[in-house]
Amino acid sequence: MAGENNMGREIRHKGGAALVYRFIMYIVFGIITFLTIYPLLWLVLSSLKTTQAFQMDRLGLPNPIFLKNYPLAWKIGHFDILFSNSVFYTVTTTIAVLVFSFAASFAFAKIPSRFTGFLHGSFIIGILLTLQSIMVPLFLMTNAVGLYNTRLGILIPYIGIGLPMGIYLGTEYIKSIPDALIESARIEGAGYLRIFFSIIAPMTKPVAMTLAIISFTGIWNEFMLINILASKEAIKSLPVGILKFSGALATDYGKQFAALSIGMAPMLAFYALFHKQITQGVSAGAVKG
Amino acid sequence: MVWIMPSRWGIYVPIPTYTQRNGLLLAIGEKKEENVDCRHLTTGSSGLAGQARSQLNRMLAGRLRRARKISKLKNRFISLLYNRSTVFNFLIILVSVFGQIPIGFALAYILFRRIVRYEGFFQTMTYLPNTISTIVIGVMFQSFFSPYGAFTQLGKMIDPAFENTLMLNPNMAMIPVLLVILWMYTGYYMIIFLANMQKIDQSVIEACRIDGANEFQTLRYLILPALSGVIVTTAILAISGSLKSFDLIFAMTAGNPARRTSVLSLYMFDNAFRGAPDYPLANAISTFMVVLSFLLIIVVRAVEKRFGGRE
Repeated sequence: MAGENNMGREIRHKGGAALVYRFIMYIVFGIITFLTIYPLLWLVLSSLKTTQAFQMDRLGLPNPIFLKNYPLAWKIGHFDILFSNSVFYTVTTTIAVLVFSFAASFAFAKIPSRFTGFLHGSFIIGILLTLQSIMVPLFLMTNAVGLYNTRLGILIPYIGIGLPMGIYLGTEYIKSIPDALIESARIEGAGYLRIFFSIIAPMTKPVAMTLAIISFTGIWNEFMLINILASKEAIKSLPVGILKFSGALATDYGKQFAALSIGMAPMLAFYALFHKQITQGVSAGAVKG
Repeated sequence: MVWIMPSRWGIYVPIPTYTQRNGLLLAIGEKKEENVDCRHLTTGSSGLAGQARSQLNRMLAGRLRRARKISKLKNRFISLLYNRSTVFNFLIILVSVFGQIPIGFALAYILFRRIVRYEGFFQTMTYLPNTISTIVIGVMFQSFFSPYGAFTQLGKMIDPAFENTLMLNPNMAMIPVLLVILWMYTGYYMIIFLANMQKIDQSVIEACRIDGANEFQTLRYLILPALSGVIVTTAILAISGSLKSFDLIFAMTAGNPARRTSVLSLYMFDNAFRGAPDYPLANAISTFMVVLSFLLIIVVRAVEKRFGGRE
């Protein structure tokens, strides 16, 4: 591919002047870091200006610093509602996906039956399913059963979308737990529920962490589905609410940038805390392809 | 050549056809079955004459109804392959496969070979845009590139006569969108490549170097073959991801100006959820998307069989 040729050219230079070469690589990464940071920094700096000050100077530092954009944007955007909704959807979905998919995985991995292959396959095929291809039917069905504009009507598809990946990762992991452990628990007199909660659940911690992070970041940033399933202000989530600042309020730059900064902050904090686990989760989730 | 035609129940049936002017078409028929009101045709119902007349009228009405349906089907053909959304979607796929993946690979390789230190920091920075909501990014760059945004002032610093019409000019608006897509997702592929490079046994690489292979040969004959499977996986992820792209473009341009930055999923969304709903058309577009992504994945697999996988 294109990258191969570039790499080759760069690396052949190395023999003579390793230091210069290393220096160039540092500059490349410096530029990439700058390009990543600059738009975000510009956003935060611009949110500290009044709209008039922004229109006068769109690049410079805010002088004086104007903090009022934040409370105003918070109030106009109903961020208290948006935040509590987003937390509710994300946490509920993550917990439900973890519990349901590991319970199903336990059955698929350790309780063989005639239908295991078929049932497992019918879940796994969901990984290939694109959200677009089920959007219209899902919308019509949600309407037909009267779940349009309700929290439940948003949670059920969210959980359903999370399950295939969860069951895939869970089954692969639980299969690697030795049967002898479960056998000995059975002999001691433990039922399936007891085995699941006392033996399987504590052992699946690493894969649960990966799955929780995939689900958490996915649902927190999810937009397409909730945009069509929710029109009531009271049940919207953060991404849908923020979009309001690009339409009617697009010319009020100060508040728009403040709203975007508010919307960006939780995920940046989450990333700062869990960046190791997130990058691990990404590479684990990508292997599915 | 395939046309897709609706059957009576709104199910789309692919019909192989060939047209010289339009090439491959995906044709869309009527929105829904329209019932022709035939009550006004019956004038009387009593007596033998009345019965015969009503029977005749029913027959006529049936024929009329069929005739109208056929004429409707003939009138509503929409090409999905020559659609602007498809064209732009293909551009996004090209940028993803031939932009994000090579750049991601190169960056991952630089970090993997320890040419640059502070690996953790640079990895975190490159992946950072992926974690932020695409809606936030879309709205942010809409303001950034707009005539009233920072880009205008940056341009004016270089050339005082600079006029920023990047987001208004139908021929130019694709560029910022593609740049943002490149900006956002390159780190994702870098992380995948880096994680898989770290699985390669370091002692094998060292053995290679001791045997006299230079940096380029190590890359060409050891690392690339070992990662050919991962490259295929990322290409598939890039293709299916590009076909799915929606949020970013919805927030950044909403497909404008002049539908030049529209993608298939946005086209589908507009038909299903904006204005009068046209669900059959929307469903046909999403079917088209699924078929397209399967076809492209088959192509990628074929390319891999032909050129790659020498382990």
